[in-house]
Amino acid sequence: MVLKLWLLLLGHDLKKPAIEMSQRTERRGIHVDQSELLCNKGCGYYGNTAWQGLCSKCWREEYQRARQKQIQEDWALAEKLQREEEAAYASIQGAQSQPQVQSQASLAPFSKFEEKKTNEKTRKVTTVKKFFSPSSRTTSKKAPPEGEEKVTGLRDWRGMFTPPWEMGYPTEDNQEGKTTSPSISRQSSIETDRVSRDFMEFLKTMQKPGREVQKHSRTFIESMANKKDLGADELSEYVQDFYQNMSERLMNHFKVSSENVERVMDEVEKYIMTRLYKSVFCPETSDDEKKDLATQKRIRALHWVDIQMLCVPVDEEIPEVSDNVVKAITDIIEMDSKRVPRDKLACITRCSKHIFSAIKITKSEPASADDFLPTLIYIVLKANPPRLQSNIQYITRFCNPSRLMTGEDGYYFTNLCCAVAFIEKLDAQSLNLDPEDFERYMSGQASPRRADTDSSWPQTDTALGPVISSPALAKVYQNLDLLSGLGTRQDRVLAAAQSLQRDLLTWEESVGQEVQEILERYPLEIRPPAPSAIDSDVENDLLPPPLMPQVFAG
Amino acid sequence: MASGGGAGGSNKTYSFKVVLLGEGCVGKTSLVLRYCENKFNDKHITTLQASFLTKKLNITGKRVNLAIWDTAGQERFHALGPIYYRDSNGAILVYDVTDEDSFQKVKNWVKELRKMLGNDICLCIVGNKIDLEKERHVSVEEAEGYAESVGAKHYHTSAKLNKGIEELFLDLCKRMMETAQAEERAKGNGASQSSSARRGVQIVDDEPQAATAAGGCCSSG
Repeated sequence: MVLKLWLLLLGHDLKKPAIEMSQRTERRGIHVDQSELLCNKGCGYYGNTAWQGLCSKCWREEYQRARQKQIQEDWALAEKLQREEEAAYASIQGAQSQPQVQSQASLAPFSKFEEKKTNEKTRKVTTVKKFFSPSSRTTSKKAPPEGEEKVTGLRDWRGMFTPPWEMGYPTEDNQEGKTTSPSISRQSSIETDRVSRDFMEFLKTMQKPGREVQKHSRTFIESMANKKDLGADELSEYVQDFYQNMSERLMNHFKVSSENVERVMDEVEKYIMTRLYKSVFCPETSDDEKKDLATQKRIRALHWVDIQMLCVPVDEEIPEVSDNVVKAITDIIEMDSKRVPRDKLACITRCSKHIFSAIKITKSEPASADDFLPTLIYIVLKANPPRLQSNIQYITRFCNPSRLMTGEDGYYFTNLCCAVAFIEKLDAQSLNLDPEDFERYMSGQASPRRADTDSSWPQTDTALGPVISSPALAKVYQNLDLLSGLGTRQDRVLAAAQSLQRDLLTWEESVGQEVQEILERYPLEIRPPAPSAIDSDVENDLLPPPLMPQVFAG
Repeated sequence: MASGGGAGGSNKTYSFKVVLLGEGCVGKTSLVLRYCENKFNDKHITTLQASFLTKKLNITGKRVNLAIWDTAGQERFHALGPIYYRDSNGAILVYDVTDEDSFQKVKNWVKELRKMLGNDICLCIVGNKIDLEKERHVSVEEAEGYAESVGAKHYHTSAKLNKGIEELFLDLCKRMMETAQAEERAKGNGASQSSSARRGVQIVDDEPQAATAAGGCCSSG
């Protein structure tokens, strides 16, 4: 809102009267001191908190400088991350020499990810650099395509982090991820068109208010196109203001019932957010991306956390439960592929429902929050959902607030936020571990499973299942056992088939021989037929008397 | 503060968010299941979960939608509290009358809630499991005296015997309605009312954010 004050000073068109400003300040309960309003550099203009208390001119100068520094830092960070991860994995590999096969298998795709990730990073950094280099500054109109490329990069990236089980889902976004940029714009425009068409169809049923809603939505989207450089919070503010004004207008001006307003607003949200998604999801002005990386790295470093440490009340030995767990993981990962905040929320809700099912099957009583939150944390750790922080921020910023406040979806979303906060702050105490052990696990020097099953590791017997702390690992070994069992059985089948074939051949021969022998032993003689009466050798009294022709008189 | 979008003033629907706080094993879940499903430790409970439940009420002709948010009571999740109780209109703090420790936890919660949300939130302190009166470790006088000193109301309940639960929620709803109405009157005009509907209860931006700094995820603007 300070921004608006500043706009007013510059003579820009401002829709709301200045009085409302103070009201809003008061309503939100944000304390703003008069001195805080002025630019920190003391140039006399009004500053903006989103611009670190600077005015637009000073901010731009500061921003350019910070940006350059940031670019370099990003580079350094990317390199550091890669080095660290390589080192960590190398040490893991060194420490876990016993499960060689397994760790190797999981390492191979990872290193590829890393490589790709760095490539993306490089590309993006150069793109941003290009954007800021003097030559392209003169043609700053070129910003949109560059921005698009960034989105593309991120999308590819998302695709890479998508675990294999999600690859099977032929979602529209996934396809986009694999294609190159020209077709991406086409692809997405197809989807945008579809959403626009649906929106128009929906509004047609409303007649006059419908036309108004359409007009406003369109102007709003156009106006947002000019605001790409604004901070994420301001973008959110604009969108939320739009939602609010729209629903108020529908309610007061057109006297639409509250249920219908909700329906219309759902459609408006879908339409607007589908169109704005690219420019407002994980915007360049925010540090969402950095947070995503940090969270991703954190979750990866916590790969050793298991069900017992979190006290998760699900028993993955039960097939139905593990089925629900897998579904929950799929749902939470799928969240990233949706564009509309409401659809993202729906993914979280579906994930939560699967978790509840898993708990209910295990404990045969309805899940309380005491059960639910640890399980959700476990699912998030297992899934490592792509761009988790960006998605959470996006939902918080652009979802219709009534949904987030009191609704069921809001509850699950809040729990997800809690899960993420917990994962960020997680320490030895919260897992009931010894701080030293925790440090060693985190640095990859030791693995809790190894410590537990040191003796029983090499000969993985299914009977030792419960000893192996990770159920997934137990499952892997179980499956391996099954496979090797299948292998021996197949060998046996093959051997048996071959012997059967041999038997058949010998049998054919022996039968031929036998026939030959018999033929030789009993040569065929053709004797002249003995002339005898047909009934001669049959006892005559057993047969019915022959039919005699009877003559009836008359 | 919590006008659920009802058009007129007379027939508007209140939507309230109530959080359930308390240590694990004090019977939060039993309490809310008894209230919403009227069942206790029952094999026939149909609901899939007991962590988010809703109840529709009609109080003196006003419709009230109650959303009850259960919270994880384990000590290790204590720091996540602010994320849960943000924007809530009421809080039910449950302790086990046979467990002195759980009462101490309630005291901590009260301090925290008052610090974060001020007097906007209606607090209920609930001593559960009064069916185990013989093993009581928290005296009635102490509990009620404490509740009064912090501006909260005290209730005695037993989810097992279905005692005091209906009264607890009804009373809480009435208090929340009063708070909401007082706030509306104070605000006066319609514009501010709908604006606060947008973001729920007043957010004093600096404080909760400092508290939820850990969960940076939820700190919107």
